[in-house]
Amino acid sequence: MSTARSGRRAAPARLNWRIRLRRDRSLLLMTVPAVVLLLVFNYAPLFGLMTAFQDYDPLVGVWHSDWVGLDQFRQLFGDPLFWESMKNTLYLSFVQLILFFPVPIALALLLNSVLSERTRNVIQSVLYLPHFFSWVLAITVFQQMLGGAGVLNQLLRTHGAGTWDVMTDPHTFALLVTSQAVWKEAGWGIIVFLAALSAINNELYEAAAADGAGRLRRMWHVTLPGLRGVIVLLLVLRLGNALSVGFEQFLIQRVAVGHDASDVLDTFSFYYGIATGNYSYGAAAGLFKSVVSLLLIWGANRLAHAFGEDGLYRR
Amino acid sequence: MTTELNRRRLLTAGASIAGAVTMAPLLSACGGGAHQKTGANTASGLKAALPAYLPSTALKPDIPSVAGGPDAATDPGFASYPASPVATVSGPPGRGGSYTAVTPLWGTVPQPGNSFYQAMDNALGVNLTIKPADGNNYNTIVPTMTAARKLPDWVNLPAWWNPNFNTGELAGTQLADLTPHLSGDNIKKYPNLAALPTGAWQAGVWGDKLYGIPCFATGFPAPGAIFHRRDVLESRGITADQVKSAEDLMNLGRELTDAKRGVWAFEDVWTYFFTSFGAPRKWKVDGGKLVHLFETQEFLEALDWHYRLATSGYMHPDALAGDTNSSTRFYAGKSLITGDGTGAWTLADYQSGIAADPKYRRGAFNSFAADGRSKPVLYMGAPSSMISYLNASLKPDQIEELLAVANYLAAPYGSAEYTLVNFGVEGTHYNRVNGVPTFTDEGKKDVQVTTYNFLASSPAVISNPGGDVVTKDYSAWQAANVRTLAKPPFWAMNYSMPQELAAAEAAQAVNDTIIDCYHGKKKVSDVQAAVSTWKSGQGDRLKRWMTENVLDKYGTGQ
Repeated sequence: MSTARSGRRAAPARLNWRIRLRRDRSLLLMTVPAVVLLLVFNYAPLFGLMTAFQDYDPLVGVWHSDWVGLDQFRQLFGDPLFWESMKNTLYLSFVQLILFFPVPIALALLLNSVLSERTRNVIQSVLYLPHFFSWVLAITVFQQMLGGAGVLNQLLRTHGAGTWDVMTDPHTFALLVTSQAVWKEAGWGIIVFLAALSAINNELYEAAAADGAGRLRRMWHVTLPGLRGVIVLLLVLRLGNALSVGFEQFLIQRVAVGHDASDVLDTFSFYYGIATGNYSYGAAAGLFKSVVSLLLIWGANRLAHAFGEDGLYRR
Repeated sequence: MTTELNRRRLLTAGASIAGAVTMAPLLSACGGGAHQKTGANTASGLKAALPAYLPSTALKPDIPSVAGGPDAATDPGFASYPASPVATVSGPPGRGGSYTAVTPLWGTVPQPGNSFYQAMDNALGVNLTIKPADGNNYNTIVPTMTAARKLPDWVNLPAWWNPNFNTGELAGTQLADLTPHLSGDNIKKYPNLAALPTGAWQAGVWGDKLYGIPCFATGFPAPGAIFHRRDVLESRGITADQVKSAEDLMNLGRELTDAKRGVWAFEDVWTYFFTSFGAPRKWKVDGGKLVHLFETQEFLEALDWHYRLATSGYMHPDALAGDTNSSTRFYAGKSLITGDGTGAWTLADYQSGIAADPKYRRGAFNSFAADGRSKPVLYMGAPSSMISYLNASLKPDQIEELLAVANYLAAPYGSAEYTLVNFGVEGTHYNRVNGVPTFTDEGKKDVQVTTYNFLASSPAVISNPGGDVVTKDYSAWQAANVRTLAKPPFWAMNYSMPQELAAAEAAQAVNDTIIDCYHGKKKVSDVQAAVSTWKSGQGDRLKRWMTENVLDKYGTGQ
């Protein structure tokens, strides 16, 4: 995002597009691979969305499948399992927003206050590491530690205490998946905040300190305002992605807690669309999700602008 | 080396096709017109299409096959691998034609043009390019080929994915009709193919014509069994035949479970145990009318027992958490009773087992009725679920060339051809260690994964050179249970249904709730609620379609 911003600053007057093209030639060339990837993997598949309005049969293909209009959507909106997964998605998204979102910020602030570079590097590496684990591995680790036959429960059992199998308890599933997400991803999430922190002008701290501001005051009046733009940007993106809470994490733990606690919109499309060959139904659920997400991101961006922040782009 | 595939494992592996859906329509944008054939067979048409059966006498098994009911017989057992394999085919069967073949592969794809492929081409007298495709995504790979009408010359279409492939529609349009070459006595030209049991050929017949060549055909198509750690049970003075009812099994669970030591009696058993309560596998016919499993009282009784099991504390917590790695726990003695496909009873299983515990010995309960009184029934599955097909665009003499190749690949166990197809070239791909063919590193890489055998293979045998106890135990179990094998309605009948009904048959919502129930998270009444929703929406439509298009027109196939 910062490159977009500086690019904007660099072109205050309207130049002829040919001149701009020549000037930015190398930059544009560098974006070509990303644009191609985006076109091939994000835009081209949009073509398949038309199957949401068909009774799609892979053997006869898109051109020859029967058109059914809004039938798939009618069926979708009358499907209690769909609303169940919608409810789960929103609830999990809300819990993650409250419990997950602040963690990387807090970690970044803590890390920033560690003076020894060596210690900081060690902590940083330890925090980053789980990000590179697959969900299968992460959940296996949780199962080995907290599962019914895991370290914790075996310890309780040998001491004659009651056991608690948190891995198969549907009531606490939201907390479980959020703590898994914190363990796995929070460390990785601090990178962007650390970058923003390093961009804060040190003179501001010095001036504040000279004026007698203590640690907390400096954090409140210098650090947090410096992070505000990034926080708002990530919040907007998070809200826009409110309907995407993950896929594998829920796929793997679906049997453990039961489908009505763990089905989110993405796993719904998978199990009730793809897995049973009901492609059109899955496409309809996916399209609905995309439309709602678009509205959410648009709304969140408007809100950010209303508060005078940049949001996704500067107005 | 029992060669039957464990279908459940394959399906579990197949569940990782996330993200493929949005691309599928793009790739299959061109295709023919939309109309649906059921592809089912009439009794007389089927009879006319099926080849004659001429069992092979090339090698005498150590444990001969025992016949059960119609189309049911145990797989012959072999204690050792023949020291000097005999040839059953003289000279290379091919005439130098060039062909491509696509087969599913669960594992690492061998290098193209490797020494094994070259040796096979030489022996077969053709230039056969094998292109193994990822087994986990096979059900999405094949539709892209059929939609573009670009099937290879020879392709394997696993039968459980027939609804995905719409095989009934492909038969005759893209797949070659083999009836003129193989039906009745025509098959005598290909003696090794003629030695494949008739029931297995039935899986390749669509619309009264023969299209498919069955691989790994077996006369003992039991879906699976309830296995136990025989060594552990026997050390406590328990033998499997003491368990005669569901209550006995539950009590055994109580006796074996020792949670403080980290030992629980059970893994999941539902899939292989619910029929013991008298429930059908999917359909039963009652007074000429179709009744679905979900509508039966026995189904509810089975659920009730499994719900009690899940909440009893005798099931391993990781099994309740849906962790599919049950074999590791079974080997380690952390769980002692497990349901699995019969494909679990192999040399590889034995080797993994004794590596974890030298006393390891797998056993299976004989099939018994849950109430301890009724006659036990083991419903037969498909006699072959890996079927290969030839491309409809091949000329008759090309078809004959490939059938001759298939005849070579289907050579009986222990023959010279079988040895080459399964072990490669001696000295390069395998060596004899105490008479047992043992793979070299090159053999492990190029030969050990299944490629040619998914085009045609000898009928299944029980043979575990180096693990005689497995051959002995498994053969004995088959012999003890062969009389309980029974054909369910529509057994080995081919029909394909419209996509929407295939989704109804999959009944995802009900099956999800069933899993939750036998893991103790949902009550039986919750399953009943899911069933009634399913019935009013899709279930009744499915039953009507099955009645009108299959039962009324073709009967139950028995």
